[in-house]
Amino acid sequence: MSVNLLRRSVDGLRAAGSVLPIPFRVAPLCLILAVAVFAAIAPRFLSLGNAANIGAQVWVLALLAIGQMFVLATRGFDISVGAVAALSSVCAAMACNGWGLPGLSAGALAGLLCGLVNGALVGTLGLQPVVATLGSLIAVRGLSLLITGDGQVVPLDAAGAVTRLGFEPMPVLPASSWAALVLAVGAALLVGRSLAGRRILMAGSNPEAVALVGVDTRRVQLWAYGLCGLFAGFAGVLMTVRAGSGLPTEGAGMELQAIAAAVIGGTALSGGIASVAAVVTGAAFIQVLLTGLNLQGVSPFVAQIAVGVVIIASGLLETLLRSLPSFPSQSRTRT
Amino acid sequence: MMALTGARPRRFSGRLNPPAAVWVVLLLFCVFALAVPRFASAGNLENLLRVGSILGIAACGQTIVLILGGIEFSFGASAALASVVTVLALPSAGVAGGFAAGAAAVLLVGLVNGTLVARFSLPPFLVTLGMLMVAGGGAAVLAGGLPIDAPPSDAFSWPARGRVVGIPVPILAAAASFVLLHLLLAHTRAGRLWYLVGANGTAARLSGITVWRSVLAGYLLAGAFCALAAVILTSRVASGQPGLAPNLPFETIAACAVGGIPLAGGQGRAVQTLCGVLVIAMLNNAVVLLNLPVAYQQLMIAAVILGAVMLQQAPRLLLLLPVRPARQSEEDRS
Repeated sequence: MSVNLLRRSVDGLRAAGSVLPIPFRVAPLCLILAVAVFAAIAPRFLSLGNAANIGAQVWVLALLAIGQMFVLATRGFDISVGAVAALSSVCAAMACNGWGLPGLSAGALAGLLCGLVNGALVGTLGLQPVVATLGSLIAVRGLSLLITGDGQVVPLDAAGAVTRLGFEPMPVLPASSWAALVLAVGAALLVGRSLAGRRILMAGSNPEAVALVGVDTRRVQLWAYGLCGLFAGFAGVLMTVRAGSGLPTEGAGMELQAIAAAVIGGTALSGGIASVAAVVTGAAFIQVLLTGLNLQGVSPFVAQIAVGVVIIASGLLETLLRSLPSFPSQSRTRT
Repeated sequence: MMALTGARPRRFSGRLNPPAAVWVVLLLFCVFALAVPRFASAGNLENLLRVGSILGIAACGQTIVLILGGIEFSFGASAALASVVTVLALPSAGVAGGFAAGAAAVLLVGLVNGTLVARFSLPPFLVTLGMLMVAGGGAAVLAGGLPIDAPPSDAFSWPARGRVVGIPVPILAAAASFVLLHLLLAHTRAGRLWYLVGANGTAARLSGITVWRSVLAGYLLAGAFCALAAVILTSRVASGQPGLAPNLPFETIAACAVGGIPLAGGQGRAVQTLCGVLVIAMLNNAVVLLNLPVAYQQLMIAAVILGAVMLQQAPRLLLLLPVRPARQSEEDRS
């Protein structure tokens, strides 16, 4: 009887453990660790103001990382997201000057278009993702320079009203953070609960099998890159909202941070595994690291090194967690 | 095992079979020679090759990694690290010692990459991306975030500006790199193993090959090529720059892709890389000569890179043949 009880409780523990599949445990672990360490060194790190600050800053990176996640899940990747965000930021600012606040959505549209071009190059034409997105990285940077007259910042006419969206707490968070949160939830529903999301994960995990069951992997890739561009566009709009102007040369290096956040968030580079919550946690971890080290007066380059180490360590940690015998590794769709 | 050491069939077909990218190189050369003033002058061509040689040497390293089914993103950052280390070591170690220290830094990055990929079976994408950030951050920390100038001297500028029998040193170094790469890939056992490991790691392991040793050697050699490129680059900019060459890894990958090397691994020849490098070098040179605004320069570079890659797939694209599904190379290796 007691043996039975013991076995049942062990089973229960295992079930509780498998609620959060192995790859998605890395990011929360890193985040908790980072918060604990910074809180221990600097008490003001845990202040409400700092938490709100991080909570508002994280979303540009988080949106870029969510977009990147869709593409990584199909075994591709997109190094143009930083440039696309900058172009979207400019488009949003220009359209907002012309048509008022609804014009901000032009940024998202520009991002979607860039993403669909990437998707057409990779999915429809079958180019290699690095080359296709490198090409669009260069081209999109050129476009941003072109429409802004050699990279000048586009000031918003209604800068006050727009930045209020980005800074004034509505109930708790500023409107921009609420919007980003809604987008993240939408992405999570898309990945976890929709046919499209299932197809994106399938296309990454086993392209041959997916083709055999009649899913057109080219179209799946087209839309994965389209979604990536769309989220980069949202990130660009957010940049505009928070800066009060269109930033044509912003976002260099953001693509690497976005990939880093997505990878720390457990998105498998071999495709098939993705979780929006984990990716957002990964982005939060990077933001905590940057802000925390900044509060300590440590050079931001040290933070860069730390992110690099964490990327590699997250790979090692995943291997380690997987090899622990007590955790069933059923979370992986293929082994 | 015996069959693997025989490189003869490939060598034979390799001679008779110029890659499709050769035609892109010729076409682009003719177009630029006609359309761009001063492009085809001897002075400009020498300049073009001298500038392109750095990309070429690094692309040799990238070729090995791509054949292994991997990818190398840390080149630019490790070149930046090398330049900073070189300049910092200059006062105490002298010119030769400084360059040696810089090269050692790149080799160290290559060793870490190779070890993590080969021994711990981590995805190359992840490892080299992480090392990009570590090496780039390291360079910035060492330099304090700002470029540091090197005291000018003839010996320091020799790798970039010196001449041997009238030929600039960088061009000689690039030529030597391509010859070495060709010999390695087509005529040595190690080269044959890279193809096998890249094409099918499981098969390689099952046929008794120590896969990790082959992979580690590949990443180390890639690091060695990158070290040579870094030495020339440091000498050319005559300073230690933490933000040096951020696009080097992407340009080398683009060069290999323009040359027609698939990123899936198991294929690729030195001559293909050479063609890709020439395309990108000519392009970078021509947009400067045309004196276009930066925005148009970038649009043109993007269009030609994408166009060159698509042109090679023209038969497939015209017939709308399906894309071959991605192979599961990452699994094969683990």
